[in-house]
Amino acid sequence: MSNYFYVSPQQLINDRAEFAQKGIARGRSILAAIYDVGVVMVAENPSASLNKISEIYDRIAFAGVGRYNEFDRLREAGIRWADGTGFTYSREDVDARALANYYAQHIGDMFTEGPKPLEVEILVAQLGGTLRPTKLYRVAYEGTLTDEPHFAVLGGDAETIRSRFEASEAEPDGLATTLRHAVAALAGPERTIPVEDLEVCILEDRGGRRTFVRLSDAEVATLLTD
Amino acid sequence: MGLPLYGAQDDPGPSFLAYAEREGLVSVTARSEALSPHATTVVALRYAEGVVMVGDRQATANYVASRDVRKIEAADRYTALAISGSAARGMEFIRMAQLSFEHYEKMTDTALSLEGKANYLSPIIQRNNLGTPLVVIPLLAGWDPSHRRGRVFEYDGAGGCYERQDFATIGSGSPFAESALRLGFRADLSLEEALDLGALALYEAGDNDPATGGPDFVRGIYPMMVVLDERGFTELPSDDVAARFRTIQERRAATSGVAGGTLR
Repeated sequence: MSNYFYVSPQQLINDRAEFAQKGIARGRSILAAIYDVGVVMVAENPSASLNKISEIYDRIAFAGVGRYNEFDRLREAGIRWADGTGFTYSREDVDARALANYYAQHIGDMFTEGPKPLEVEILVAQLGGTLRPTKLYRVAYEGTLTDEPHFAVLGGDAETIRSRFEASEAEPDGLATTLRHAVAALAGPERTIPVEDLEVCILEDRGGRRTFVRLSDAEVATLLTD
Repeated sequence: MGLPLYGAQDDPGPSFLAYAEREGLVSVTARSEALSPHATTVVALRYAEGVVMVGDRQATANYVASRDVRKIEAADRYTALAISGSAARGMEFIRMAQLSFEHYEKMTDTALSLEGKANYLSPIIQRNNLGTPLVVIPLLAGWDPSHRRGRVFEYDGAGGCYERQDFATIGSGSPFAESALRLGFRADLSLEEALDLGALALYEAGDNDPATGGPDFVRGIYPMMVVLDERGFTELPSDDVAARFRTIQERRAATSGVAGGTLR
Protein backbone atom coordinates (compact mmCIF):
# COMPACT_ATOMS: atom_id res chain seq x y z
CA MET A 1 0.00 0.00 0.00
CA SER A 2 1.59 3.19 -1.14
CA ASN A 3 1.14 6.52 0.56
CA TYR A 4 -0.47 9.46 -1.26
CA PHE A 5 0.15 13.01 -0.19
CA TYR A 6 -3.05 14.98 -0.25
CA VAL A 7 -3.13 17.69 -2.93
CA SER A 8 -6.31 19.74 -3.17
CA PRO A 9 -7.98 19.72 -6.60
CA GLN A 10 -7.63 23.50 -6.69
CA GLN A 11 -3.91 23.28 -6.12
CA LEU A 12 -3.55 20.54 -8.73
CA ILE A 13 -5.37 22.57 -11.36
CA ASN A 14 -3.39 25.72 -10.57
CA ASP A 15 -0.11 23.84 -10.89
CA ARG A 16 -1.10 22.20 -14.15
CA ALA A 17 -2.43 25.46 -15.59
CA GLU A 18 0.79 27.24 -14.71
CA PHE A 19 2.80 24.47 -16.35
CA ALA A 20 0.76 24.60 -19.55
CA GLN A 21 0.77 28.39 -19.72
CA LYS A 22 4.55 28.49 -19.39
CA GLY A 23 4.95 26.01 -22.21
CA ILE A 24 2.60 27.88 -24.50
CA ALA A 25 4.12 31.29 -23.70
CA ARG A 26 7.51 30.13 -25.02
CA GLY A 27 6.22 30.16 -28.61
CA ARG A 28 4.85 32.93 -30.81
CA SER A 29 1.15 33.70 -31.11
CA ILE A 30 -1.36 33.17 -33.89
CA LEU A 31 -4.18 35.47 -34.90
CA ALA A 32 -7.16 34.30 -36.95
CA ALA A 33 -9.78 36.73 -38.18
CA ILE A 34 -12.90 36.63 -40.28
CA TYR A 35 -12.74 39.06 -43.22
CA ASP A 36 -15.52 40.04 -45.64
CA VAL A 37 -15.36 36.85 -47.74
CA GLY A 38 -13.20 34.43 -45.80
CA VAL A 39 -10.99 33.59 -42.85
CA VAL A 40 -7.33 34.58 -42.57
CA MET A 41 -4.89 32.92 -40.18
CA VAL A 42 -1.57 34.59 -39.42
CA ALA A 43 1.29 33.02 -37.48
CA GLU A 44 4.72 34.30 -36.71
CA ASN A 45 6.80 31.30 -37.75
CA PRO A 46 10.47 31.53 -38.76
CA SER A 47 10.38 27.95 -40.07
CA ALA A 48 9.18 27.55 -43.63
CA SER A 49 8.49 23.84 -43.30
CA LEU A 50 7.25 23.21 -39.74
CA ASN A 51 3.81 24.64 -40.20
CA LYS A 52 1.45 25.88 -37.52
CA ILE A 53 -1.51 26.30 -39.86
CA SER A 54 -2.90 23.50 -41.98
CA GLU A 55 -5.79 22.35 -44.14
CA ILE A 56 -8.14 19.87 -42.48
CA TYR A 57 -10.98 19.62 -44.97
CA ASP A 58 -12.75 21.43 -47.81
CA ARG A 59 -13.84 24.34 -45.60
CA ILE A 60 -11.95 23.67 -42.37
CA ALA A 61 -8.50 24.80 -41.26
CA PHE A 62 -6.38 24.12 -38.20
CA ALA A 63 -3.93 26.30 -36.29
CA GLY A 64 -1.91 25.35 -33.23
CA VAL A 65 0.49 27.05 -30.85
CA GLY A 66 2.75 25.58 -28.19
CA ARG A 67 4.66 22.32 -28.48
CA TYR A 68 4.97 21.35 -32.13
CA ASN A 69 4.90 17.57 -31.62
CA GLU A 70 1.73 17.82 -29.55
CA PHE A 71 -0.33 20.04 -31.83
CA ASP A 72 0.93 18.31 -34.97
CA ARG A 73 -0.41 15.00 -33.70
CA LEU A 74 -3.76 16.70 -33.09
CA ARG A 75 -3.63 18.17 -36.60
CA GLU A 76 -3.05 14.71 -38.12
CA ALA A 77 -5.87 13.25 -36.04
CA GLY A 78 -8.13 16.05 -37.31
CA ILE A 79 -7.35 15.30 -40.96
CA ARG A 80 -7.95 11.58 -40.39
CA TRP A 81 -11.17 12.25 -38.57
CA ALA A 82 -12.44 14.58 -41.30
CA ASP A 83 -11.45 12.34 -44.24
CA GLY A 84 -12.82 9.28 -42.44
CA THR A 85 -16.13 10.97 -41.65
CA GLY A 86 -16.50 12.29 -45.20
CA PHE A 87 -15.71 8.84 -46.60
CA THR A 88 -18.19 7.06 -44.34
CA TYR A 89 -21.04 9.57 -44.72
CA SER A 90 -20.74 12.52 -47.09
CA ARG A 91 -18.43 15.52 -47.51
CA GLU A 92 -21.33 17.70 -46.33
CA ASP A 93 -21.39 15.97 -42.98
CA VAL A 94 -17.93 17.04 -41.88
CA ASP A 95 -18.55 19.76 -39.31
CA ALA A 96 -15.87 21.83 -37.59
CA ARG A 97 -17.89 21.99 -34.38
CA ALA A 98 -17.76 18.22 -33.95
CA LEU A 99 -14.00 18.26 -34.48
CA ALA A 100 -13.51 21.18 -32.07
CA ASN A 101 -15.51 19.20 -29.49
CA TYR A 102 -13.25 16.18 -29.87
CA TYR A 103 -10.20 18.38 -29.45
CA ALA A 104 -11.72 20.01 -26.37
CA GLN A 105 -12.51 16.61 -24.83
CA HIS A 106 -9.07 15.22 -25.52
CA ILE A 107 -7.17 18.30 -24.35
CA GLY A 108 -9.45 18.52 -21.29
CA ASP A 109 -8.83 14.86 -20.43
CA MET A 110 -5.09 15.30 -20.78
CA PHE A 111 -5.24 18.38 -18.55
CA THR A 112 -6.93 16.59 -15.66
CA GLU A 113 -5.86 12.97 -16.11
CA GLY A 114 -2.82 12.92 -18.39
CA PRO A 115 0.74 12.47 -17.16
CA LYS A 116 1.13 16.15 -17.98
CA PRO A 117 -1.21 18.67 -19.59
CA LEU A 118 -0.77 19.33 -23.31
CA GLU A 119 1.09 22.60 -23.83
CA VAL A 120 -1.05 23.63 -26.79
CA GLU A 121 -3.89 25.84 -27.88
CA ILE A 122 -5.85 24.95 -30.96
CA LEU A 123 -8.00 26.85 -33.41
CA VAL A 124 -10.49 25.19 -35.75
CA ALA A 125 -11.74 27.60 -38.41
CA GLN A 126 -14.69 26.91 -40.65
CA LEU A 127 -15.60 28.87 -43.75
CA GLY A 128 -19.35 29.31 -43.96
CA GLY A 129 -21.44 28.25 -46.93
CA THR A 130 -25.00 27.26 -47.66
CA LEU A 131 -24.96 24.69 -44.88
CA ARG A 132 -22.97 26.21 -42.05
CA PRO A 133 -21.84 29.59 -40.75
CA THR A 134 -18.27 30.89 -40.64
CA LYS A 135 -16.86 29.96 -37.23
CA LEU A 136 -13.68 30.24 -35.21
CA TYR A 137 -13.47 27.64 -32.44
CA ARG A 138 -10.68 28.07 -29.93
CA VAL A 139 -9.64 25.24 -27.62
CA ALA A 140 -7.53 26.32 -24.64
CA TYR A 141 -4.91 24.14 -22.89
CA GLU A 142 -7.40 23.02 -20.22
CA GLY A 143 -10.05 22.03 -22.76
CA THR A 144 -12.24 25.14 -22.71
CA LEU A 145 -13.98 25.50 -26.05
CA THR A 146 -14.98 29.01 -27.14
CA ASP A 147 -16.67 30.23 -30.27
CA GLU A 148 -15.13 33.57 -31.27
CA PRO A 149 -17.42 35.84 -33.27
CA HIS A 150 -14.86 37.94 -35.19
CA PHE A 151 -11.29 36.95 -34.39
CA ALA A 152 -9.28 34.72 -32.09
CA VAL A 153 -5.77 34.93 -30.68
CA LEU A 154 -3.82 31.89 -29.52
CA GLY A 155 -0.62 31.85 -27.52
CA GLY A 156 1.11 33.42 -24.58
CA ASP A 157 0.68 37.07 -25.38
CA ALA A 158 -2.97 36.71 -26.37
CA GLU A 159 -4.49 39.50 -24.26
CA THR A 160 -2.17 42.25 -25.51
CA ILE A 161 -2.52 41.17 -29.13
CA ARG A 162 -6.26 40.87 -28.72
CA SER A 163 -6.64 44.46 -27.50
CA ARG A 164 -4.29 45.81 -30.22
CA PHE A 165 -6.31 44.07 -32.96
CA GLU A 166 -9.63 45.10 -31.44
CA ALA A 167 -8.53 48.73 -31.44
CA SER A 168 -7.61 48.67 -35.14
CA GLU A 169 -10.45 46.60 -36.53
CA ALA A 170 -13.95 46.80 -35.10
CA GLU A 171 -15.75 45.07 -37.99
CA PRO A 172 -14.66 42.47 -40.57
CA ASP A 173 -12.87 44.23 -43.46
CA GLY A 174 -11.17 43.18 -46.73
CA LEU A 175 -8.31 40.65 -46.77
CA ALA A 176 -5.47 43.15 -47.23
CA THR A 177 -6.67 45.44 -44.41
CA THR A 178 -7.37 42.56 -42.04
CA LEU A 179 -3.98 41.01 -42.75
CA ARG A 180 -2.24 44.35 -42.15
CA HIS A 181 -4.06 44.78 -38.82
CA ALA A 182 -3.28 41.21 -37.83
CA VAL A 183 0.44 41.54 -38.57
CA ALA A 184 0.61 44.88 -36.73
CA ALA A 185 -1.19 43.38 -33.74
CA LEU A 186 1.17 40.39 -33.63
CA ALA A 187 4.28 42.59 -33.95
CA GLY A 188 3.33 45.34 -31.50
CA PRO A 189 4.46 48.96 -31.80
CA GLU A 190 8.21 48.33 -31.35
CA ARG A 191 9.04 45.85 -34.06
CA THR A 192 8.13 44.70 -37.56
CA ILE A 193 7.96 41.03 -38.53
CA PRO A 194 9.78 40.23 -41.78
CA VAL A 195 7.53 38.70 -44.43
CA GLU A 196 9.55 35.47 -44.54
CA ASP A 197 8.77 34.93 -40.84
CA LEU A 198 5.02 35.07 -41.47
CA GLU A 199 2.87 32.05 -42.16
CA VAL A 200 -0.40 33.19 -43.70
CA CYS A 201 -3.23 30.94 -44.83
CA ILE A 202 -6.78 31.70 -45.88
CA LEU A 203 -10.09 29.94 -46.37
CA GLU A 204 -11.92 31.53 -49.28
CA ASP A 205 -14.34 30.37 -51.96
CA ARG A 206 -12.75 30.33 -55.42
CA GLY A 207 -15.25 28.12 -57.21
CA GLY A 208 -13.61 24.80 -56.29
CA ARG A 209 -14.31 22.31 -53.56
CA ARG A 210 -11.23 23.07 -51.50
CA THR A 211 -10.98 26.55 -50.02
CA PHE A 212 -7.67 26.45 -48.12
CA VAL A 213 -4.76 28.41 -49.59
CA ARG A 214 -1.28 28.87 -48.17
CA LEU A 215 -0.12 32.30 -49.31
CA SER A 216 3.45 32.64 -50.59
CA ASP A 217 5.83 35.29 -49.21
CA ALA A 218 5.38 37.29 -52.41
CA GLU A 219 1.59 37.23 -52.10
CA VAL A 220 1.80 38.28 -48.46
CA ALA A 221 4.20 41.11 -49.30
CA THR A 222 1.83 42.34 -52.04
CA LEU A 223 -1.15 42.28 -49.70
CA LEU A 224 0.77 44.13 -46.98
CA THR A 225 1.88 46.95 -49.30
CA ASP A 226 -1.52 47.32 -51.02
CA MET B 1 -15.94 8.00 -34.76
CA GLY B 2 -13.68 9.37 -32.04
CA LEU B 3 -10.51 11.38 -32.47
CA PRO B 4 -8.06 9.02 -34.23
CA LEU B 5 -4.88 9.58 -32.21
CA TYR B 6 -1.97 7.16 -32.49
CA GLY B 7 1.37 6.68 -30.83
CA ALA B 8 4.52 6.98 -32.90
CA GLN B 9 4.85 3.18 -33.10
CA ASP B 10 1.42 2.39 -34.48
CA ASP B 11 0.76 5.53 -36.52
CA PRO B 12 -0.67 4.63 -39.96
CA GLY B 13 1.20 7.56 -41.53
CA PRO B 14 -0.17 9.61 -44.41
CA SER B 15 -1.85 6.61 -46.09
CA PHE B 16 -5.63 6.91 -45.93
CA LEU B 17 -6.01 3.24 -46.78
CA ALA B 18 -3.85 2.13 -43.87
CA TYR B 19 -5.93 4.28 -41.55
CA ALA B 20 -9.29 3.25 -43.06
CA GLU B 21 -8.44 -0.45 -42.79
CA ARG B 22 -7.34 -0.11 -39.20
CA GLU B 23 -10.53 1.71 -38.25
CA GLY B 24 -12.77 -0.66 -40.19
CA LEU B 25 -14.03 2.03 -42.60
CA VAL B 26 -13.42 -0.30 -45.55
CA SER B 27 -14.20 -3.97 -45.79
CA VAL B 28 -11.22 -6.03 -46.87
CA THR B 29 -13.09 -9.18 -47.80
CA ALA B 30 -16.21 -8.08 -49.72
CA ARG B 31 -16.83 -10.50 -52.64
CA SER B 32 -20.44 -10.04 -53.55
CA GLU B 33 -20.61 -8.16 -56.83
CA ALA B 34 -21.33 -11.12 -59.13
CA LEU B 35 -24.30 -9.21 -60.56
CA SER B 36 -22.67 -5.81 -60.67
CA PRO B 37 -22.68 -4.17 -64.12
CA HIS B 38 -19.42 -3.82 -65.99
CA ALA B 39 -17.77 -0.67 -67.16
CA THR B 40 -15.83 -0.86 -70.41
CA THR B 41 -13.38 0.78 -72.81
CA VAL B 42 -11.02 3.62 -71.91
CA VAL B 43 -7.88 4.63 -73.83
CA ALA B 44 -5.00 6.88 -72.81
CA LEU B 45 -2.33 8.08 -75.22
CA ARG B 46 0.64 10.34 -74.82
CA TYR B 47 1.20 13.27 -77.12
CA ALA B 48 3.96 15.88 -77.30
CA GLU B 49 2.75 17.92 -74.29
CA GLY B 50 0.70 15.55 -72.17
CA VAL B 51 -1.85 12.77 -72.25
CA VAL B 52 -5.27 12.40 -73.87
CA MET B 53 -7.87 10.03 -72.41
CA VAL B 54 -11.11 8.91 -74.00
CA GLY B 55 -13.68 6.68 -72.33
CA ASP B 56 -17.12 5.38 -73.25
CA ARG B 57 -20.13 5.94 -71.00
CA GLN B 58 -21.89 2.59 -70.91
CA ALA B 59 -22.19 0.14 -68.02
CA THR B 60 -23.16 -3.30 -69.21
CA ALA B 61 -24.62 -6.31 -67.40
CA ASN B 62 -26.65 -8.67 -69.62
CA TYR B 63 -28.38 -5.48 -70.69
CA VAL B 64 -27.36 -1.82 -70.83
CA ALA B 65 -27.30 -0.92 -67.13
CA SER B 66 -26.41 2.73 -67.58
CA ARG B 67 -25.62 4.99 -70.53
CA ASP B 68 -23.97 7.90 -68.80
CA VAL B 69 -21.35 6.49 -66.42
CA ARG B 70 -18.22 8.59 -65.90
CA LYS B 71 -15.33 6.16 -66.07
CA ILE B 72 -12.62 8.81 -66.07
CA GLU B 73 -12.33 11.02 -63.02
CA ALA B 74 -9.81 13.59 -61.90
CA ALA B 75 -7.92 11.94 -59.06
CA ASP B 76 -6.42 15.35 -58.31
CA ARG B 77 -5.40 18.42 -60.28
CA TYR B 78 -2.80 16.68 -62.48
CA THR B 79 -3.97 13.08 -62.47
CA ALA B 80 -6.85 11.16 -64.00
CA LEU B 81 -7.99 7.71 -63.07
CA ALA B 82 -10.13 5.48 -65.27
CA ILE B 83 -11.68 2.13 -64.45
CA SER B 84 -12.88 -0.98 -66.20
CA GLY B 85 -14.50 -4.04 -64.71
CA SER B 86 -16.96 -4.14 -61.86
CA ALA B 87 -18.66 -0.73 -61.69
CA ALA B 88 -19.41 -0.96 -58.00
CA ARG B 89 -15.80 -1.74 -57.13
CA GLY B 90 -14.52 0.73 -59.67
CA MET B 91 -16.42 3.68 -58.22
CA GLU B 92 -15.20 2.74 -54.76
CA PHE B 93 -11.71 2.46 -56.15
CA ILE B 94 -11.79 5.96 -57.67
CA ARG B 95 -13.16 7.40 -54.45
CA MET B 96 -10.46 5.74 -52.40
CA ALA B 97 -7.73 6.96 -54.74
CA GLN B 98 -9.00 10.56 -54.81
CA LEU B 99 -9.30 10.68 -51.06
CA SER B 100 -5.92 9.02 -50.53
CA PHE B 101 -4.01 11.49 -52.71
CA GLU B 102 -5.66 14.46 -51.00
CA HIS B 103 -5.16 12.90 -47.57
CA TYR B 104 -1.45 12.44 -48.24
CA GLU B 105 -1.17 16.03 -49.42
CA LYS B 106 -2.86 17.42 -46.32
CA MET B 107 -0.95 15.20 -43.91
CA THR B 108 2.49 15.94 -45.33
CA ASP B 109 1.92 19.33 -46.98
CA THR B 110 3.45 17.92 -50.20
CA ALA B 111 1.74 16.33 -53.16
CA LEU B 112 2.45 12.66 -53.82
CA SER B 113 4.62 12.14 -56.92
CA LEU B 114 2.91 10.64 -59.98
CA GLU B 115 4.96 7.49 -59.60
CA GLY B 116 4.02 7.39 -55.92
CA LYS B 117 0.35 7.55 -56.89
CA ALA B 118 0.81 4.77 -59.45
CA ASN B 119 2.52 2.51 -56.91
CA TYR B 120 -0.03 3.28 -54.20
CA LEU B 121 -2.77 1.72 -56.35
CA SER B 122 -1.01 -1.65 -56.81
CA PRO B 123 -1.89 -3.23 -53.43
CA ILE B 124 -5.48 -1.96 -53.70
CA ILE B 125 -5.86 -3.70 -57.07
CA GLN B 126 -4.26 -6.82 -55.70
CA ARG B 127 -6.58 -6.87 -52.70
CA ASN B 128 -9.59 -6.22 -54.93
CA ASN B 129 -8.83 -8.81 -57.54
CA LEU B 130 -7.17 -11.84 -56.03
CA GLY B 131 -9.93 -14.22 -55.01
CA THR B 132 -12.70 -12.28 -56.75
CA PRO B 133 -14.26 -13.47 -60.01
CA LEU B 134 -14.88 -9.92 -61.24
CA VAL B 135 -11.97 -7.58 -61.28
CA VAL B 136 -11.29 -3.89 -61.51
CA ILE B 137 -8.46 -2.74 -63.74
CA PRO B 138 -7.65 0.96 -63.55
CA LEU B 139 -5.66 3.20 -65.83
CA LEU B 140 -3.71 6.08 -64.36
CA ALA B 141 -2.51 8.99 -66.45
CA GLY B 142 -1.33 12.43 -65.60
CA TRP B 143 1.00 15.33 -66.03
CA ASP B 144 4.14 14.81 -63.97
CA PRO B 145 5.12 18.29 -62.75
CA SER B 146 8.54 17.14 -61.51
CA HIS B 147 9.52 15.46 -64.81
CA ARG B 148 7.55 17.85 -67.02
CA ARG B 149 5.83 15.27 -69.20
CA GLY B 150 2.63 13.29 -69.51
CA ARG B 151 2.82 9.71 -68.22
CA VAL B 152 0.58 6.66 -68.55
CA PHE B 153 0.51 3.69 -66.15
CA GLU B 154 -1.36 0.47 -66.80
CA TYR B 155 -1.98 -2.45 -64.44
CA ASP B 156 -2.54 -6.17 -64.64
CA GLY B 157 -5.11 -8.05 -62.57
CA ALA B 158 -2.56 -8.94 -59.90
CA GLY B 159 -1.70 -5.32 -59.24
CA GLY B 160 1.44 -5.12 -61.38
CA CYS B 161 2.07 -1.54 -62.51
CA TYR B 162 3.70 -0.79 -65.87
CA GLU B 163 4.52 2.58 -67.32
CA ARG B 164 3.73 2.92 -71.02
CA GLN B 165 5.62 5.25 -73.32
CA ASP B 166 2.92 5.26 -75.98
CA PHE B 167 -0.64 4.35 -75.07
CA ALA B 168 -2.72 2.00 -72.97
CA THR B 169 -6.26 0.64 -73.15
CA ILE B 170 -8.54 -1.04 -70.62
CA GLY B 171 -11.89 -2.78 -70.85
CA SER B 172 -13.60 -5.25 -73.15
CA GLY B 173 -13.24 -3.04 -76.24
CA SER B 174 -9.45 -2.91 -75.83
CA PRO B 175 -8.48 -5.13 -78.80
CA PHE B 176 -10.33 -2.87 -81.23
CA ALA B 177 -9.20 0.40 -79.66
CA GLU B 178 -5.65 -0.87 -79.45
CA SER B 179 -5.60 -1.79 -83.16
CA ALA B 180 -6.53 1.74 -84.12
CA LEU B 181 -3.96 3.21 -81.74
CA ARG B 182 -1.20 0.91 -83.02
CA LEU B 183 -1.77 2.02 -86.57
CA GLY B 184 -2.15 5.72 -85.83
CA PHE B 185 0.25 6.43 -82.96
CA ARG B 186 3.42 8.51 -83.33
CA ALA B 187 5.56 9.83 -80.50
CA ASP B 188 5.19 13.42 -81.72
CA LEU B 189 1.40 13.65 -82.04
CA SER B 190 -0.04 17.11 -81.57
CA LEU B 191 -2.95 17.61 -79.18
CA GLU B 192 -5.47 17.74 -82.04
CA GLU B 193 -4.06 14.60 -83.65
CA ALA B 194 -4.08 12.78 -80.31
CA LEU B 195 -7.69 13.77 -79.64
CA ASP B 196 -8.77 12.58 -83.10
CA LEU B 197 -6.86 9.30 -82.79
CA GLY B 198 -8.26 8.67 -79.29
CA ALA B 199 -11.80 9.34 -80.51
CA LEU B 200 -11.30 7.04 -83.50
CA ALA B 201 -9.95 4.25 -81.25
CA LEU B 202 -13.00 4.54 -79.03
CA TYR B 203 -15.32 4.66 -82.03
CA GLU B 204 -13.78 1.37 -83.24
CA ALA B 205 -14.32 -0.20 -79.81
CA GLY B 206 -17.93 1.00 -79.70
CA ASP B 207 -18.51 -0.28 -83.22
CA ASN B 208 -17.17 -3.80 -82.57
CA ASP B 209 -17.63 -4.54 -78.88
CA PRO B 210 -21.24 -4.96 -77.72
CA ALA B 211 -20.37 -3.88 -74.16
CA THR B 212 -18.82 -0.56 -75.23
CA GLY B 213 -21.09 2.37 -75.89
CA GLY B 214 -20.14 4.54 -78.85
CA PRO B 215 -21.44 8.06 -79.42
CA ASP B 216 -25.19 8.15 -78.74
CA PHE B 217 -26.54 10.76 -81.16
CA VAL B 218 -30.13 9.95 -80.20
CA ARG B 219 -29.72 10.77 -76.53
CA GLY B 220 -26.88 13.23 -76.98
CA ILE B 221 -24.52 11.21 -74.77
CA TYR B 222 -20.92 11.15 -75.96
CA PRO B 223 -17.72 9.53 -74.71
CA MET B 224 -15.64 11.48 -72.21
CA MET B 225 -12.53 13.19 -73.56
CA VAL B 226 -9.92 14.47 -71.14
CA VAL B 227 -6.63 16.31 -71.62
CA LEU B 228 -3.85 16.27 -69.01
CA ASP B 229 -1.10 18.80 -69.54
CA GLU B 230 0.81 21.33 -67.47
CA ARG B 231 -2.44 23.15 -66.71
CA GLY B 232 -3.82 19.98 -65.17
CA PHE B 233 -7.02 18.02 -65.85
CA THR B 234 -9.39 19.44 -68.50
CA GLU B 235 -12.51 17.72 -69.74
CA LEU B 236 -13.63 18.63 -73.25
CA PRO B 237 -17.12 20.13 -73.42
CA SER B 238 -19.82 17.82 -74.74
CA ASP B 239 -20.45 19.74 -78.01
CA ASP B 240 -16.74 19.60 -78.89
CA VAL B 241 -16.76 15.83 -78.34
CA ALA B 242 -20.02 15.52 -80.29
CA ALA B 243 -18.49 17.33 -83.27
CA ARG B 244 -15.47 15.00 -83.33
CA PHE B 245 -17.62 11.86 -83.30
CA ARG B 246 -20.02 13.29 -85.85
CA THR B 247 -17.08 13.82 -88.22
CA ILE B 248 -15.98 10.20 -87.80
CA GLN B 249 -19.57 9.02 -88.23
CA GLU B 250 -20.02 10.98 -91.48
CA ARG B 251 -16.71 9.75 -92.87
CA ARG B 252 -17.74 6.20 -92.14
CA ALA B 253 -21.17 6.67 -93.65
CA ALA B 254 -19.55 7.89 -96.87
CA THR B 255 -17.68 4.56 -97.21
CA SER B 256 -20.60 2.39 -96.04
CA GLY B 257 -19.13 1.67 -92.62
CA VAL B 258 -15.60 0.58 -93.48
CA ALA B 259 -12.51 2.62 -92.71
CA GLY B 260 -11.87 2.67 -96.44
CA GLY B 261 -8.25 1.61 -96.66
CA THR B 262 -6.86 4.40 -94.49
CA LEU B 263 -7.07 5.16 -90.81
CA ARG B 264 -9.93 7.61 -90.79
